Amino acid sequence: MGFLRPYRPQLWGSLAFAWAAMGMTVLIPWLVGRAINAIESGDKADLLPLALAIFGAAILRLGLTVVRRLVAGKVSLAVEFDLRQTFYAHLQRLELGFFDSQQTGQLMSRATVDLQSIRFFLGYGLIFITQNLLTVVLASAVMFVISPWLALIALAPAPLIVYVASRYNRVSRPALQEVQQRIAELTAEAEENVSGIRIVKAFAREEYQLHRFRRAVSRVFDQSIYSTRLQAFFSPLIGLLPQLGIALVLLIGGREVIAGDLSLGDFTAFYTYLVMLAGPMRMLGVTMGMAQRAIASGNRLFEILDREPRIESPPGAPPLPAGGGRVELRGVGLHYEGAEDVPALSDLDLEVEAGRTVALVGPSGSGKTSLVALVARLYDPGAGTVLVDGVDVREVDVASLRSEIAFVADDSFLFTATVAENIAYADLGASREEIEAAARRAEADGFIRELPDGYETRVGERGLTLSGGQRQRVAIARALLADPRVLILDDATSSVDATTEAAIKAGLREAMAGRTTFIIAHRLSTVSLADEIVVMDGGRIVDRGSHAELMEGCGFYREIAEHGLADSVFLQRDLEEREEMARL
Amino acid sequence: MNDVRNIGRLFASLWRLIRGEDQRGRKVRWLVAQLRPYRGRVALMFVGLLLATAAGLAPPYLAGKAIDSGILADDVGALDLIVVAFVAVSILYAAATYLQTYMVGWVGTRVLQDLRQRVFAHLQSMSIGFFTKRSPGVLISRMTNDIEALNQLVTSGVVTMFSSTLTLLGVVVIMLLLDVQLALIAFLTFPLLAIASVVFRIASQGAYRATRERIAAITAYLQESLSGVRVVRSFGQEPRHLDAMTELNEENRAANLRTVYLNASYFPAVELLAAVGTAAILLYGGSQAIDGEIQIGVIVAFVGYLATFFDPIQQLSQLYTTYQQGMAALDKIFDLLDTEPDMVDAPDAIDPGTLRGEIELDGVWFSYAEGAEPGDSAWALRDVDLHVPPGQTLALVGATGAGKSTFAKLVARFYDPQQGRVLVDGHDLRGIRQGALRRQLGIVPQEGFLFSGSVRENIAFGRPEASGEGIEAAIAAVGATEFVGALPDGVETEVGERGVQLSAGQRQLVAFARALLAEPRILILDEATSNVDVRTEKTIEKGLERLLRGRTAIVIAHRLSTIRRAGKIVVLEAGKIAEQGTHEELIAAGGPYSKLYGAWSDSAA
Repeated sequence: MGFLRPYRPQLWGSLAFAWAAMGMTVLIPWLVGRAINAIESGDKADLLPLALAIFGAAILRLGLTVVRRLVAGKVSLAVEFDLRQTFYAHLQRLELGFFDSQQTGQLMSRATVDLQSIRFFLGYGLIFITQNLLTVVLASAVMFVISPWLALIALAPAPLIVYVASRYNRVSRPALQEVQQRIAELTAEAEENVSGIRIVKAFAREEYQLHRFRRAVSRVFDQSIYSTRLQAFFSPLIGLLPQLGIALVLLIGGREVIAGDLSLGDFTAFYTYLVMLAGPMRMLGVTMGMAQRAIASGNRLFEILDREPRIESPPGAPPLPAGGGRVELRGVGLHYEGAEDVPALSDLDLEVEAGRTVALVGPSGSGKTSLVALVARLYDPGAGTVLVDGVDVREVDVASLRSEIAFVADDSFLFTATVAENIAYADLGASREEIEAAARRAEADGFIRELPDGYETRVGERGLTLSGGQRQRVAIARALLADPRVLILDDATSSVDATTEAAIKAGLREAMAGRTTFIIAHRLSTVSLADEIVVMDGGRIVDRGSHAELMEGCGFYREIAEHGLADSVFLQRDLEEREEMARL
Repeated sequence: MNDVRNIGRLFASLWRLIRGEDQRGRKVRWLVAQLRPYRGRVALMFVGLLLATAAGLAPPYLAGKAIDSGILADDVGALDLIVVAFVAVSILYAAATYLQTYMVGWVGTRVLQDLRQRVFAHLQSMSIGFFTKRSPGVLISRMTNDIEALNQLVTSGVVTMFSSTLTLLGVVVIMLLLDVQLALIAFLTFPLLAIASVVFRIASQGAYRATRERIAAITAYLQESLSGVRVVRSFGQEPRHLDAMTELNEENRAANLRTVYLNASYFPAVELLAAVGTAAILLYGGSQAIDGEIQIGVIVAFVGYLATFFDPIQQLSQLYTTYQQGMAALDKIFDLLDTEPDMVDAPDAIDPGTLRGEIELDGVWFSYAEGAEPGDSAWALRDVDLHVPPGQTLALVGATGAGKSTFAKLVARFYDPQQGRVLVDGHDLRGIRQGALRRQLGIVPQEGFLFSGSVRENIAFGRPEASGEGIEAAIAAVGATEFVGALPDGVETEVGERGVQLSAGQRQLVAFARALLAEPRILILDEATSNVDVRTEKTIEKGLERLLRGRTAIVIAHRLSTIRRAGKIVVLEAGKIAEQGTHEELIAAGGPYSKLYGAWSDSAA
C-alpha cells in the first residue's frame, strides 16, 4: 500500500467527507420521524423547520458527496497512473531473458485489468466499505437510542444478509469466470476454424467442425445456466431478508405504538432506516469481494515489480571506449531460463577483428542467434566473457554499448509508425536525406516511394501490411541508419526474393565497410559476403574458414551447403499467397 | 442540444420499429420468431415478471396501511393481518423474481446459442474466396462479441423495459389513487429526474466509450512494444517508449476524469432530488394530515414510493445504450446470414465414385478480382490448357505470382474459374459434389495447420474412422515414428491451439501423415517442405516417394530433387504456361526453365 503514500491527505479527506455525507443520510430519516411526530401531534409550526432541515441536510450531503467523489476519483486515477508508469518503466529495465519466460498477454493484463481493479477498489471499494459500514453502524446506533429492543429485532436479519451476500459473491464469481473461460474456449474454437478453413474445406470436414463447435456452445450454455440459477436463487433471497426485518418492525413496533410505548414518528424512522439499510448491507458483501480482487491484483503486480533486473549498467559505468568493433568471446556458455539441461552455447571461443565480416552457419538451434545476442548484451553468459573493443560488456554502460550495435532480426519487427520513423528508430533526429540514403542501400527506396504516402505511410500492427521481404528491407535500412560499429544480420534477407537480394548485396557490401558484421543466413549467396564462415552445431563452433576451405575439409558444412542452403532459393513462393498468409 | 436530438432519435426508431417500417423490424420479428420453440418458458417468464412487479409495488402501501388501519386505529388484528400480507407479498416477490430471472436467462441464452450455431454453420458453407476477403477477427467477433451484445438486449434489455415501465406506471397509479394533490407534488421531481438521467446517460456513454478507447490504446501499445522488446533493447530505445507510454497513460487519466466528473454531478443530484421530494411531501402532506384531509399512513407510503421510482428511471435511461449496441450487433449478424453461400453444389451434382485422378484444364481464365477484363493484368491464370494423366506427378515451376498456387486451388475447387473448365476424370468440377471431390483430395500446405486435439485426432482428421494401425502406418510412412514416440503421451499428446506445442517441422510431418491417411486420389503439395529444417526435410523426402506412388500429384516445390523426379514439369509465367516437359527436355530446350535453373545454380554458387 506504499503507493498510496503521496496521496494520504486526499485519501483521509475523502474518507472524512464520505463519513460526513453518511451522517447526513442517517440524519434524514430521523428528521422524517420528527416530522411524523409533529403531524401526529398536530404541530403545524414545526413542519416547516423540519422540512427545511431535511432540505438543508440534503444540500450539505450534495456538497460533501461531490467533493468526496472528485477527490477519491482523482486519487484513484493518480494511483493507477503512477502504478502503470512504474510498471512499464520496470518492464523497460528488465532483461530480455525475463520476456522469454513471460507471455505478453499476461504482462498486458497486469498493466490493464489488474491496475483497473486496484483503481476501482481505491476509488469506490474502499469508500463503499467504510461508507456502508458507517451507515449500518450509525443507523443501528440511532435505532438503538430510539428503542434498543426494537432495534435488536429489526437488525436480526442483518448479519444473515451480509453473510448471504458475501456467499453469493463467493460462489458466483468463480461461476462467472468459468463462463468467461468457456466463452474464451469457444472463441478459440471459432478462431481456429476460420484460420484453418482451407484444411477444413480440403478434407471436406465441415460437419465435424460444426460438431466440435456445438460441443463448445453447449459447454457455454450449461455454465451460463448454472450461473443464472445462482443469480436467480440468491438475489431474490438477499432482497427478501430485509423485508422480513421490516415486517418484524411493523408487527412489534406497531403494537408498541398502539400500547403507547413508541411514538409514531420513531416507528416511521425505524421503517425508513430499514428500507435505507437494505442497500448498504448487500453492498458490504459485494465490496468484500472487490477488496479480495484488488489484493490479488496487487500481488500479481508486485510479483513483477519485485523482480530485479538482471542486466543493468553497473553504477558509474563508463561508456564503451572508441574502437573499430573488435569482438571477442572467451569460454562463453549460455543457458536459457527453463532449459537448464540444454546449453544454448558451451565453452565457445571466437575472435572477430574490427571490420571483418563473419557468417554463422549451422542448423536451427545450433546457437547462432544466441551468440550474436551476447555481443549486444541482450543476455549475460553463464560462463566466460564477452568483450567488445577489448572491454567486458558487463563493465560498460549498456546504452552506449547497444547504440554501437545494430540488429536486423529475422522477424523484422516494425512499430506502428511511418516508414521514415521506423528507419530513423535509432536516431529520431536523422534528416530525410540520411533516411533515404539508408533505404537506398537496403534496396527499399523503390518500393517505399510506391507506397500510398511514400515515406510517410504508416506501417505495423495498425497500419499498412508490408510483405515479409519489404519489412526486412526496412529493418535493414533501420540498422544501417544507426551507423553501428557492429552490424548483425540475423537471417535478414530470408523473405527477400533472389533478384532483390542480389541488389541488396551491393548496398550491404558498401555498408559493411568499416564495421564488424555478423551474418546469419541460409543462402549461400548471402554467406558469400563474409570474409570467413563459422560453422556451428549444438552450441559449439565446429569449424571455420572460407567457403572453399570448408567445402573441402568440413563434411558437416558440405552437407548443409548442399541441402539446406542451396536448394531453398530455387523458386519463390507466390506473392499473393504470402500476402494471404500475412493476413491470417 | 445534441442530447435532446438523441432522445428524439430513440423514440423515432422505436416508433418505426413498432410500425414495422424499418429494415430492423424484419430482423426483430425474426428474432422473436426464434422464441417460438420455447413459448412455454417465455410465458412463464412474463408471468414471473408481472407478479414480481406487482409484488414489488405493494410494501410501501402496506406499510402506510399498517399505520392508518392498524396502529392509528388501535386495531391489533388488522395490524397482524397487514403484516401477514406484507410477508406474503415479499415471499411472492422473491419467488416471482426467481422464476423471471431463471426463465429470462434460460430463454435468452438458448436462443443465442442457436443463433451462434447458425452463424457457424453458415460460415462452413461459404467458399474460400469469402474468407480471404474478410478479416478473421471480424468473422469470429460475429460469433462472440456480437452475440453477447445481443444477449444483453434480449435478457436485461427486455426485462428492464417491461419491469421498469410497469413499476413506474404502477407507482404513478398508486400515488394518484392514494392522493391526487400529494401525487402531483411528488411528480414535480419526475421531469427533472428523467431529464437528468437521460442527459447523464448519453453524456456518459461518450465518456465511457472514450475510456474504453484509451485503455484499448494502452493495451495495443503494450502489445506492440512488448512483442518488439528485442528491437527496443537492441537499439537501446527504452526512454522513447517510456515517453510514449506516459502520454497514453495521461490521456487515459484525462478520459477517466471525465467520468469522475459526470458521476460526481449526477448521483449526488439524484439523492438531492429524492430528499427534496421527501421534504415537500412532509411539508404539504403534513399540514393536510393535521387538517385531517389525509392520513399519516399515506404520507409514509409516499415517502416509501419516492425511493422506489428512482431506480426504474435510471435503468430505462440505460436502455438506450443496450438497445443501440444490440441492434448494431443484430445488423452485423444479419449481414453475414444474408450473404448467400457462393459455391453451393448444383442440385444435380453427382458423386463420381472413386477417382482415377485424371486432371484436365480447358481454356481456364481466373482472377481473384471480380469483373476483370480480358486485357487486365489482374488475371492469375490466362487461357490455361493442360492434361495430367492418372498417376502422374506434375511439378509447377515459376516466379513469384506466376499462378502456381492458383492452379492448385482451382483443382481443389477452392475457386471456380471465370472462363473455361476444370475437369477431373472427365467431369466438370462444377457438376461434382464438393464433399465427394475433396474427400479424395489430399493437400499439404506450406504451414502445417493443426487443430487443437491429439496428434491422433489430427492425423485422422480426414478419415475419423481410421484404425490405430492405419494411423501408425501413416506415421511410419512419413518417418514421424521417432518424434511421435518421443512425445510425452505419444500419439495421444495434445498439440495445443493451432498445434503450438509442436515445432514447425513436427507440424508439417503430422500434416503429411494426415494427407497420407486420407488416401487421396489427388495429392497437392504446396511448398510443403519450405518451412522445415534440413533434418526434417530429409525425413519427409524419404516418405515422399511412398506418398506419390499410385496417385496423381501436383507439386509446387523448390527442391530440385523433387522437381526433377516429376513426370511433367510445367513452367508458368504471368498466368500462362510457358513450357512443359521433363527436366531433361526442358534443359535441352534452353527456354525459361533452363534460365531459372541457371539463376538457381548461380545463386547457389
